[in-house]
Amino acid sequence: MSARLAIKALNLRKSFGAIPAVQGLSLEVFPGETLGLLGPNGAGKSTSIQILTGLLQPDSGEVEVAGGNPHDPSVRMRLGVAPQALSLYEELTAAENLSFFGNLYNLAGSQLRDRIAWGLQFAGLQDRARHRVSTFSGGMKRRLNLAIAMLHEPEVLFLDEPTVGVDPQSRNHIFESIAQLRSSGLTIHYTTHYMEEARRLCDRVAIVDHGKLLALDTVPALIATYGGESQIQAEVAQWPVELSSRATVEAGILRANSAKPLEEIASWTAVGARFQTLQINSPDLESVFLSLTGRSLRD
Amino acid sequence: MQVIQLALKDLKLLLRDRTAAFFILAFPVLMGLFFGMMMGGTSGSERGKIKLAVVDEDESELSRRFVSALERNENLSVSAAKLDTAREQVRKAESTGMLVIPQGFAQSAGIFWEPQPELQLGVDPARAAEGAMLEGFTMQAMSELIQYRIERPADFLPSLAKAREALANDTQVDLVTRQLGAPLFRAIEQFIAGLPTGENAKAGEAPNNAVAAPSIQLAQIRKIDVTSKAQTLSVGGETFNLRSRWDISFPQAMLWGVLGCAAGFAISIARERGGGTLQRLLASPLSLRQILLGKALACLLASILVIGMLTLLGWLLGMRPESYPKLAMAGVCTAICFSGIMMIVSNLGKSEQSVSGVGWSLNLVMAMLGGCMIPVMFMPAFVQQASVVSPVRWAILAIEGAVWRGFSWGEILPACAVLLGIGALGFAAGTWLLSRASQDGGR
Repeated sequence: MSARLAIKALNLRKSFGAIPAVQGLSLEVFPGETLGLLGPNGAGKSTSIQILTGLLQPDSGEVEVAGGNPHDPSVRMRLGVAPQALSLYEELTAAENLSFFGNLYNLAGSQLRDRIAWGLQFAGLQDRARHRVSTFSGGMKRRLNLAIAMLHEPEVLFLDEPTVGVDPQSRNHIFESIAQLRSSGLTIHYTTHYMEEARRLCDRVAIVDHGKLLALDTVPALIATYGGESQIQAEVAQWPVELSSRATVEAGILRANSAKPLEEIASWTAVGARFQTLQINSPDLESVFLSLTGRSLRD
Repeated sequence: MQVIQLALKDLKLLLRDRTAAFFILAFPVLMGLFFGMMMGGTSGSERGKIKLAVVDEDESELSRRFVSALERNENLSVSAAKLDTAREQVRKAESTGMLVIPQGFAQSAGIFWEPQPELQLGVDPARAAEGAMLEGFTMQAMSELIQYRIERPADFLPSLAKAREALANDTQVDLVTRQLGAPLFRAIEQFIAGLPTGENAKAGEAPNNAVAAPSIQLAQIRKIDVTSKAQTLSVGGETFNLRSRWDISFPQAMLWGVLGCAAGFAISIARERGGGTLQRLLASPLSLRQILLGKALACLLASILVIGMLTLLGWLLGMRPESYPKLAMAGVCTAICFSGIMMIVSNLGKSEQSVSGVGWSLNLVMAMLGGCMIPVMFMPAFVQQASVVSPVRWAILAIEGAVWRGFSWGEILPACAVLLGIGALGFAAGTWLLSRASQDGGR
């Protein structure tokens, strides 16, 4: 396998009894890249992340992360994981949680103290360092969850649905934190079922469903390939007869599809079309998912 | 090093969980004190007495002596009552039993060749074992009347003369027997007439100590002092070197503490699994075995802490372990055993609640069978045999062996070996089960 890839998965398969969770998943993630794994609940995202972090043994296939097998403790030392479930000790304080997990990664003494201070600042919890986690809001816990994953300065960071159940303010804080990590050159593997997060944070997005990889590319490329045309909808005030062959107007409502909607609308107004309201729906990742699976990502 | 960090973290969490801390630290102390006080001291004066209602329908000097003999028995609490009242007291469980002394009791009581008066003993059916003891105490009191009679030969002589006369006049008996019987009766009469009387005996003093008359006993009863040394393997050996109530109750309390630790840490593994922290631990450079070792170490340290704390508390109350090194070994082996069991229990449920339910149910069964509630030696024989399957039995045996049974190293080692074996088996099985469960992805 190539040593220059941060993550390489080849034809991974994993079943739980008769239920296939991952079916032939192959991925390549480059160093410094943020790859988003986008799919609905039950698509196999968490199982994939568990295989990539060495928590689960695949039934078949090969995995290489940070240049080695993730089951190897020396490789796991270079990985950071923020699980979907809040993996914190509620009866310990924020500082105690950071200290405990830091110890597991051989951090000690002044190095540990420095990293705890960094973690508290990263999570925005400097003034809550001595407070027990059980007193924190969901957003504060999520931020601490992320800080712990980054405490030992890993080469590859795995984030499993890091914004589930958080308030908008904390979500923004997490987005900013991840953006900061991206800019530092960290490789991030990010699973989510929120299109907005994938679009905003990821260099490339892999769309998965039923344990299968359906498409993998940058967001614009995915939209261009699978998103289809923009949808135009308008209440028409005036609609010249000569345009009747280019769009259908029923009961005063115009509905049309176009790859270049603004140009299209400009050409209509040039010949006398007038609108009371006008709405353009550009294709997005939802359209991509709909196009690939025949159903909505939110289903 | 990381294993120690894991253990320290668990101990810190334990101390911050008030419910778990109560069951591990306070509950065993309460159990030890409760059972210790329930068992009473090793001296009879502190033990609960059997309540006996006595109905004296004879109201003679002899019947009063008989009642007095019963009252002197330190195991009995005797009260006088009318027949109906006595019956009510037993029915309402206010008395264990009732004893009716019939009219005419004085005529023949204590004269061993006369038909004995019929005493009526009624016992609460729910306290059959104490009923058997009451029968024994009644016989004991009757034996004192025989001695009382012998001390007063004059009481015997009319009865003897009457018997001699009846024999002489009984034509159904052949002539030779009648002729031989007459001198025999005279010889007995002369022997009794020549005995020293007990007139000078002080009232209330035990007859066998008061006079030099030949003593007659209805049964050979030997009292054993359970607080002194006795031969191992003998009945008395069961209570070898038992010095105080705390010698029995505190080993039991130690086991309650260790059981609390095992249940608490089994629940903590389930909590880690449910809460997601186990996933984070498994994603760290630690192996599953190291993680479980950390848990086992925490359980082990907490168990040893509890045993140490209870040893100290027991010592302050009067428990004096025969051998501290043996107690330390028994304690460590017990802690290892239940740390292993904890590993299995933690896998017997999917949620914290189910592990808690399974853990405490299993604890109760092991505790009941193993002698954590009632000492094994007080159990029926078949239960004693069945109790060998309970690790609690072996743990209590090892700890009691060090505290008051006076076990040698050779005697304590088998129990410790069983405990270590169970611990090793538990650790291996628990690791395998958790490994399998984690590969099921929590399903």
